[in-house]
This record gives sequence, C-alpha cells and structure tokens, in this order.
Amino acid sequence: MKNVNLRVGRVLRASTRGFTIGCAVMQPDIPAFGSFVRADGATPRSAIYGLIYDVSLEDDPFVRQFISANPPEEVVRDQRQNRQVPIEVSVLTVGCADGEHIYHCLPAQPPITLDWLYQCDEEEVRAFTARFDYFRLVLEAREAPADELLAASLRFAAAARPEEERARFLTEAGRELSRLLASDLVRLEGLLRRLRAVTEVV
Amino acid sequence: MGRELAARHHKYDSLVKLARHWLEKYADRGELLRRSAQPVRAAIPTAEPLNFHGPLPPIPPRFTVVAADGSQIQPDRHGAVLYYLINIGSLVYRHGSGEAPLACSEPLLGYAEEELYEDGLLLSGNLLDLRRDIAEVTRLADLCASEPHGPVVALVDGTLLLWVLEERSEEWQRTQVMRYLDQLGRIQESGAAVAAFASRPRRSEVSRLLHLASVDGDAQRAIRETNPLEHLPDRAIFETLPPGARSALFISPASVNQNFYQPAGQTVHFFYLNLSAEEEEPVIARVEVPAWVAEQPDQLALVHAAVVAQARITGDYPYALARADELAFISAPEREALEEMIATSMMRVGVMPTPSPKAYYKSLTRSGRRRYGR
Repeated sequence: MKNVNLRVGRVLRASTRGFTIGCAVMQPDIPAFGSFVRADGATPRSAIYGLIYDVSLEDDPFVRQFISANPPEEVVRDQRQNRQVPIEVSVLTVGCADGEHIYHCLPAQPPITLDWLYQCDEEEVRAFTARFDYFRLVLEAREAPADELLAASLRFAAAARPEEERARFLTEAGRELSRLLASDLVRLEGLLRRLRAVTEVV
Repeated sequence: MGRELAARHHKYDSLVKLARHWLEKYADRGELLRRSAQPVRAAIPTAEPLNFHGPLPPIPPRFTVVAADGSQIQPDRHGAVLYYLINIGSLVYRHGSGEAPLACSEPLLGYAEEELYEDGLLLSGNLLDLRRDIAEVTRLADLCASEPHGPVVALVDGTLLLWVLEERSEEWQRTQVMRYLDQLGRIQESGAAVAAFASRPRRSEVSRLLHLASVDGDAQRAIRETNPLEHLPDRAIFETLPPGARSALFISPASVNQNFYQPAGQTVHFFYLNLSAEEEEPVIARVEVPAWVAEQPDQLALVHAAVVAQARITGDYPYALARADELAFISAPEREALEEMIATSMMRVGVMPTPSPKAYYKSLTRSGRRRYGR
C-alpha cells in the first residue's frame, strides 16, 4: 500500500478532521484539488486518508518585487526551486486504515507534525472508493467546498478504474448521492450536474 | 525645523553645483594631484580624466556572477554556553543559462577553546567580523575555482578593504590582510574578476580630491583650510552620470590599501556607477576592484556590465548579493533553535546548561509585559 515515490509534503498542523501540510515545490500533478492522499497513522501499518481541498501560497515581499518586472528565467527558477516559499496544502480527513481494513470514518488520532503525506496510487484509490461511506464526511465538511471536492474526488476515483468500469462507478456514486441528499434536491441537482460533467471528461 | 531643513537643502544643492563645477574645471589635473591626495585621504586619480564617463559596455549573453555574504552570532558571555557562529550564504547565478542558480548556506560553528580565542582574546566584535570577511572571500574563491570556464564575476557586499584594528601590531595586521589577499589571489588565478558593491555609498573621497584641486594640490593648505565639500557624499557629484555609465577610476586612499594591498599588487580602485535605466532617477553605487581588474579593460568592462545587469533585475541592488544575504541571515527563531540543539546535546552528556542570572532575568522580563489595573 505504501508508495514512497509520491510524497506531497510534511504535516505542519493537524486535527482529527483534517490537516495541513507544507511543501516547497508544486509539480504538475501534485498536489491537486480533490486528489486522494495518505499519511501514516500512529500505529504500524495504519494510515489516515484525506482529500486535498485547498492549495495556497504564502505571501512573500521579495517575490512581489518581480511581479511586474518580467524577471529572467534564472530568477523564476531560483524563486521556485531554491527559495523556501511555503506552499500549504489543506486536507480533509475522510477515512483511516488499520493495515487490513479501510474505514470511512475519522481516525482516533491525527497524523503527527512532520509526518510525510503521500499521493495515493490507483490501487489505493480503487480500494478506498470501493464503498461510498466517505461521502457523508465530505458533504458535512464546513471548511471545504464540499460539492466541488466530492465531484473532483470522483473524477480521480473514476480515472483510477479501467475505462469500461468508469460509467458504472459514477452511476453508482450518483445513486448514493440521491439517497444522501433526498431532502435537498437543489443541492443534489447541482452535484449530479457536476457528476455528468465528470462522466464526459473521464 | 522646516526652515532649517529647507536652508540645508538649498546649501546642499549649491555644494553639489560647486563640486560638479570643480570636477569639470580640474578634470585634467589628475597627474598633479596624485602625490598629494593620499595624505588628505582624498581619492587618488588614475590616468582617466576626473570627469570621465564610461558608457555601459555590451552585456555578454552568457556570464556567471558568484556572490557571497556572511552573518554571525557573537559569543555571549551571559549565555548558557560560549560559542560563535559564522554563516556564509552564496549564490552562483549563470546569466543566459535559464538554469536555477546554485544556492548554498554554510555555517561555521566555533566552540572549542582554540576556536574561541586568538592570542588570548575572545573572538568577538571586530575580530569575528574579520573572520567572517575572510570566510566570505574564501567561499568566493572556492566557487570561482570550481566554476567551469567562461566569464565569471565574484561579488561581495561593501568593500574589498579589510578593516583591521589599528592598535594591533603591524605584523598582526599584515597576517590578517594577507589571509584575505591570498583568497583574492586565488580568484585571480581562476580567471574570474572580483568586485565589491556598495549601495548608497557615504564616502567623500572624491569631494576631498576636488577641494585639494581647488587649492592647487597643496596638501598642507587642504588640511588647514575648511573644505566646503567635507560632508558631501561622492555619489551626489556623480548623479549626472548617464544611465548605466561609470565614473573615472580612482584609487582608495585608505592606509591599509597603501600599506598592504599595493605591495601585493592588489591596490583597490573604485568607480561610481549609475545603475538606473533610461528615464529613471539615478541610482549611484560604488564599485571597488583590485588593480588586476582595473588595469585589464576586458575584466573591467565585464564587472561594469555584470553589476548593472544584476542590479537591474531587482532595480537597484545586485540580485545575487540580495540572495546571498538572505541565505546568510540568521533569524531569531533559527538562533533559538540552534541554542536548543546545543542545550540538548549538553544535557545528553550530563551537563546542565545555565545562563547567567542577568540573561535569565532578561528572558523573564522580555517575554511579554503584563499590567494589571490602571
């Protein structure tokens, strides 16, 4: 399950509901909004799963100086690669694992400061999204743009599956949402529209 | 206060006008003034006319600027443990390469008895500054030696003239300066040029030279008579330099230059430089180079072009020096983290670190004031 090659960054601060990590460099696919990530849990082989819901860059007065100055490529690379301009990535906790089973619930303890956060590989994403119980945690999240986040996560989950399984997976996800949001038809309609858009993309 | 400031401003303007008038009037008196300049601490003229303007040379498409800067933590006799730290930041910036510059930060921690004391004196204040200056130029020499062939300019902030305690013996001073000059020699051997960059310089050496010229080069008269330009910074005189242009070259009259640098073939020359681009307000900096750069037109042109190219990245200060300073800087949290690491390592071997009572009470009273009631 562990994939040490896709490290996103290290944990800066954490609670059971979510955590923030810091990284120095942004790569094309890491970190991406809605992608599944994993931090090691407190006990061996345990893990905490989350969805990236925000990526922010801290303000830096030195960089401000170059905003309108059309800096040379060497300066752009220096600022991006050498200067430790912190990129903060916020993660919503959506599940945990004890080494054998995956649970769609909050972990007993959050990850610890400086723990590594990894991007989940396709196998992990498929295993985690074999059920849809994590939807409730996302839909109830107040700190994250829940509906956008859920749609983005389903796009990653569908893309992690073979092409012929994707439409069926998204249809099942839509059915689960219809059940959860039966009393909020306006929200449900918005989410189903987003899911339809996802179906067209994947 | 307003009237006083307005009067001072008016007087300043008239002094600048006088200085520029003298610069034109005595432009070709360099030869005559050369001998009498040093005793009055005036800039020593070279073969270039005093009012010389050197236009910005073509900026090479590919060249490298290597910059180093240092900062230090002074030993604190009230601290839990006596140590010093010198941190040297450096940046290797390859213009035209499109590559990320090479950034490095190299700390030197001194805590052993033989590192903390020199001739029985604690290595602090000027002594530590001296170590830092030598560490900076050593780092530059190392980087120049390992840089692949091509035009290379090594840059330091401030001055190439090492400030040594004049109350120490001449032999001691010579030893310190020679350690510095050896590193300049290594840079020369590597084929690189070296320069020091001073932002908003305050020196008045050219002002003194113009006063000397106004009294026919008579050093005794120049000492006796009041110099109206005494407090006029040279940079004010050179604000008329065209964008990118440099002034004439001069030789620094500093006694360390005459006593130690000159015999070693490293006489420090300087010029003023307008860093601004067309239609911008002038930004005057002072650039120092050793004789072996000043006397080679190609090397001098490279330094001139490289400094302007670097400064125009940020607007008015060489980018590589700004980054080297950033890499060298030791912030308060970093210092605290270092002291925690030192304390932890002491406790591991059974030694309890204890600050002096003064330091202890300062840590209590400065941690945040509290006031109850009115």
